[in-house]
Parts: sequence; C-alpha cells; structure tokens
Amino acid sequence: MAHTKVLLVDDEKEFASALAERLQLRNYDVKSASNALEALGIVHSFLPDVVLLDLKIPGMDGIETLKAIKKFDSTIEVIMLTGHGDVRSVEDGMKSGAFEYIMKPVDIGELTLKINRASQKKQTS
Amino acid sequence: MKNMKQKFSNLLRDIFHPREIFRVLGKDRYASLKIRIVLLDVLLSMIPLFIVITISYFWFQKILKDDFHKQLNWEIQNTKQTIEFFVDERLSVLRFITSSYTYEQLSDQKILTETFARFKKEFGGLVDFGIIDSSGIQRSYTGPYNLAGKDYSTQEWFQEVIIRSYYVSDAFTGYRKIPHFAVAIKREVPEKGTFWILRATINIDTLQKYVNTVNLRSNDDIFIINREGILQTPSKFHGDVLEKYTAPVTIPRQEILIQELQTSGDDCKICGFATIKHSPWILVTVIRSTPYARIPSIFRNELFFITMGSILLGLIFTIVMANTVVNRIKLSDQDREKAVGQSEHASKMASIGRLAAGVAHEINNPLAIINEKAGLMKDILEVSGNTPDNKDKFLSLISGIAESVNRCRTITHRLLGFSRRMEISQDAIDMNDAIQEVIGFLEKEILYRNIRLELNLQENLPKVITDKGQVQQVFLNIINNAIDALKKNGLINVTTYAKDDKFIGIAIKDNGSGIPKENLKHIFEPFYSTKEKGEGTGLGLSISYGIVQKLGGTILVESEINKGTTFSVELPLKSEGD
Repeated sequence: MAHTKVLLVDDEKEFASALAERLQLRNYDVKSASNALEALGIVHSFLPDVVLLDLKIPGMDGIETLKAIKKFDSTIEVIMLTGHGDVRSVEDGMKSGAFEYIMKPVDIGELTLKINRASQKKQTS
Repeated sequence: MKNMKQKFSNLLRDIFHPREIFRVLGKDRYASLKIRIVLLDVLLSMIPLFIVITISYFWFQKILKDDFHKQLNWEIQNTKQTIEFFVDERLSVLRFITSSYTYEQLSDQKILTETFARFKKEFGGLVDFGIIDSSGIQRSYTGPYNLAGKDYSTQEWFQEVIIRSYYVSDAFTGYRKIPHFAVAIKREVPEKGTFWILRATINIDTLQKYVNTVNLRSNDDIFIINREGILQTPSKFHGDVLEKYTAPVTIPRQEILIQELQTSGDDCKICGFATIKHSPWILVTVIRSTPYARIPSIFRNELFFITMGSILLGLIFTIVMANTVVNRIKLSDQDREKAVGQSEHASKMASIGRLAAGVAHEINNPLAIINEKAGLMKDILEVSGNTPDNKDKFLSLISGIAESVNRCRTITHRLLGFSRRMEISQDAIDMNDAIQEVIGFLEKEILYRNIRLELNLQENLPKVITDKGQVQQVFLNIINNAIDALKKNGLINVTTYAKDDKFIGIAIKDNGSGIPKENLKHIFEPFYSTKEKGEGTGLGLSISYGIVQKLGGTILVESEINKGTTFSVELPLKSEGD
C-alpha cells in the first residue's frame, strides 16, 4: 500500500517542519506549504490524500483555501488546524466540506488517527 | 507656632502678590465658579438696593428742604408780625397821646416833657417828642437837641403825614450820629379846620432787638432795609445801618417771598423778603447755610446700618447659595467622573477580552512548535536510540524549543505590561516605541487579514511625559477600529511627527470604506456603535476622546466615503492631566 500523501499548510515554518518530520517517521508522504498560494500549487502537482490546513494563513482566508481545494478535487479530505479555538471558523469549515478539525498543540496519536480515517474515506469514495 | 508663622507669611504673600490668589483660583475651577456666582449675585442684588437707597436719600432730602422752607416761612412771618406789632404799638401810643391831650396842652413845654418822661419809661428807645403845627413849624420839643421852632414844612415826611395821617420814617442819623427813625401822627382839629402833628424819634437799637428774635445759624443773616436798599438795622455781612445792601432785592407782592438762588461764592442760597406794614421797611433773611443738605446723622446712620445689614445678609445668603450650588455641581461632577471611570474600566475589560483571544492564539503557536519539536525528539529516540549522530539534530530542536519559550515570554510580558499600565502613571515615553508595542498586539490580526501596515515614524521624536497605558489604549482602540473597517488588501498608515515644540502628533489612516457624514458627528459619543450587536461596546472612541482630553491633547477625525478615515491625535509633550 502506498504511503498516504499529506499536505501540511501552516505559516509557522518551525511547526510545519517538525510536524512534517514526525509524520514522515510514521510513514506518511508529507509536503508542507506556508501560504495559500503555495498550498494550492502543491495540491495541483502532489495530489495529496489529506490536507492539514491552518485556518489562519497569510494570502488567503483558510476557509476560502479549503473551498478552492474542494473545488479542485472534492475527494481530497481536509483536516482543519486551529490554534485559537475560533468556533465560528470551524463551523464554517465543516459546512464547507472539511472532514475534521484538530486543535493546536496537536496530539500526534489523535492526528494520525484522524489522517488515517480521512485517508480511508478518500479510498472508499 | 511654626504653623502660625507660615500662615502669616502666606497672608503677606497674598497681600503683596495677589496674582498668586488668582493663579490658585484659576486652577480651582470650583472656587472661581463660586466667586463668579457671588460677584454676579451681589452685583445684581446690590444695584436695586443702591437705587432704592439713593432715591430715598434724595426724597428725604427734598422733604427736609420743604420742611426747612416752611419753618423759615413761619419764622419770617413771626418776626414780621412782631415788628409790625412794634410799629403799630408806637403809632397807637402816639395816637393815644394826641387824643388825650390838646394841642394847647402839649404846646406847653412842661406838660410835653412830663408826658415824654412817662412814656419813655414804658417804651425804651424814645429819643424825643415834638409838636408841629399845620404850617410845619415845631411848636414845642422835648429831647436831647434844641429843635424847637424848626420848620418841617418843606420835608417830604410832612407832606406824607398830612396825606396818610401817620408816618414811619427810614433810618437816619441825627446830630449825635446815632441812627434812629421817626414816627409821626396827625391830629385833626375839625372845629378849627386845622391839624397838628406829634412826632417821636426812636433809637434804631429798639427795632434791632425785635429783629434779633429769630434763631439763626452763624452763617445766616437777618436785617431790615428800606425800599431803596439802605440798611435799617445792621447786617452781619452787608455792613452797618445806612449802608447800601448790594444784592438783588425782590419786593414781594404777597406778604412773604422766599427765593432760592443757585449762586456760587458768598452770595445767599435762600433769601426771604417780607414787607412790614405801615412802614417803608422790608425784612430780609439770608440763609447761607443749607442745613437740609446734610441729612441728619440719625437718618444717615440708620440708612447706613440698613444698607450694611442688607449687604451683609445678601452676601451671606449668596455665599451660602453659591456654596450649595457649587458643591452640588462638584458632587455631580464627581459622580460623572466615577461613571466615566467605570465605563473606562468596562472598556478596558472589553479590550482585554479581545486581547485574550489574540494572546491565546499567539501563545498556542509557540506551544504547538514546542509540542512538535519535543514530540519529534521522542520519536527519534524511539526509532534510532541515543546515537551521537542525533546530537546536532537534538541541539537544533532544543534551540527551537527555547526560541518558542522566548516567544511565549515576550507575549506574557507584554500582557503583564498592559495590565500594569492600568494604574495611572506619568513617564517619559517614546511615542514610536509605544506605537510599536500596540502594533505588536495586533500584527497577527493585521497579517491574517492581509492588511498592509505602513509606519512613518519620525526619528528623534521628543519624549512625551504622559500616561503610557492610557495613550496605548487610545491607539489600540483606533487601530482596532481601522482593522475592523478594512476588507481585503487594506492599508493602515501610522505617522508620527513633532508638531511644534509643545505638541507631537500621531496620525492613523486607513483606506477603508469611510464613515458617512451623519455618523461622523456621533462617533465620539458613548455607546454609539455601527458594529453588529455584541461586536463592540460603543465606548472605545468616546473613552479615547476622554483620555486624550484628560491628557491635554486633541483628537480629530476626517473621513471620506470609499477613501478612508484618518484619526489625528495631538498630545502635549508635558501632559496636564493628573
């Protein structure tokens, strides 16, 4: 079975690189982007299974990025990362087709569980 | 003792440097309000009081004057009647003699001398008696001079007595140069178709005694003149008997005439003229003193005490009233300040709530980094064990963790600083630093909303002695509003500049949708908000306005629809606020 392809979108590069490395250690194929435009570019070329998307990123609003990804390929599952417990944004995200959300700081076990579930959902769809 | 000395020296300073008092009054607006109320009230109430007092003063003076005129008239009348009685009495006596004795009897020197002696005893001042026949020749005479045989036929008085049957002469000096006057009575002898005359001479001193009965002040004068103005009795100021009285004389048509003359100098102020019946005389009264002009001291004292009493009462009432009013104002001001203070506190709390969300987000990020780096270290240890190869990797991860901890520390310090600055303080602050700190709170928000921030901070900006916390709250409010007003691709420009050597200015400009004119005039009003319910307290700008005013500065807003809004705050280098 091929590795699950994960795109990590977060403007905190330190966070993104550490988390990416941890996910790689767990056999995920991980790429990261620090803004919306870069993320959409990678979505096009890399075709990830799951996108971990921070809701607050420079360039474009997180929700709009989510909509753009879903528009490009509705089977790509998006897990929202939120650092500030903004209930309204999470609600908007879920309505716009996000699979799940997870609060920062992230528990790696919970995250991998959610990625796997998202990946399974994509496989079946 | 030391305290007393201090008080005394303060009193001296106040007396010699009254400006100090005004300086203190100028500072204490309640005291100056009190003084203004008292002055205005005293002025308003004292003007009618003084008008009433002045009117009653003059009214009373007029009454006194009228009274004085009446009194004078009465006295002149009295004197006139006394003198007329005197003249009439002399005429009656002569008439009695002429009817009691015949011409022949009185032509007898002896009988005439006896009669003269008898009457001289009764009536002082008699000088002589003479009997004159119808041809004007003095037939007999008794007296100090040798006038028997003197011919009076050509004299004016002789003609007069023939016509009127009595005669009273002007004053004249006889041989001894003693002034006297003559009285004559004609006695008809119808059976012989002839007449004779009894003539008596009387010393003028006798008349003077009657004139002197009037009670006058030392400045006043009373005397008798004849119709030619020749003095018949001596005058205090116009000379002796037979001298000319030079002042104008008005012969009264009625019995008495009182004239008031507005002349300066020694001339009379009030002149009374009265004709004496059966004589050629005019009684003249000259009043130079004006006793009515000096309101009697009793009345003056009463008036003074009433005035002073009214002023004192008015002043006490005014002061008590001003005190009550100003104290009420002071209390309501204090209440208002308290209410403003409370709403300021509410606004601070609202700002803090807003900050807390931002801070939670900001702290979450470094926490997430620490979490991931620590997790990665654990992962590496679990996968490959503690090998020397991992040392560099670990060091880099640890320094990343330390850096994130520093980030957290900066945030917590900033937050602590903000809460500490809620206490009022006065520090010399660099406005550029203060603004950078405020922007530090908001930069994530600015970044996420994709807002461009331009800073034109003037270098070497003079330091401002003011309350940093309050100033920062103002900028936090204004920049927050700007962020809320901006959509995508917004621009916020913050400019600082030294306006002059007393003020510095801070302009915060956005290119948002602008504020409609009808809203612009309300934006500094408390609880005015155009944000959705629950989004804003409506207090931010009103409190900012209050703070800037309190710090002695100004806050201005200019806005144009679809072009943006500029808030300009100007602050004094030395804040006047407390």
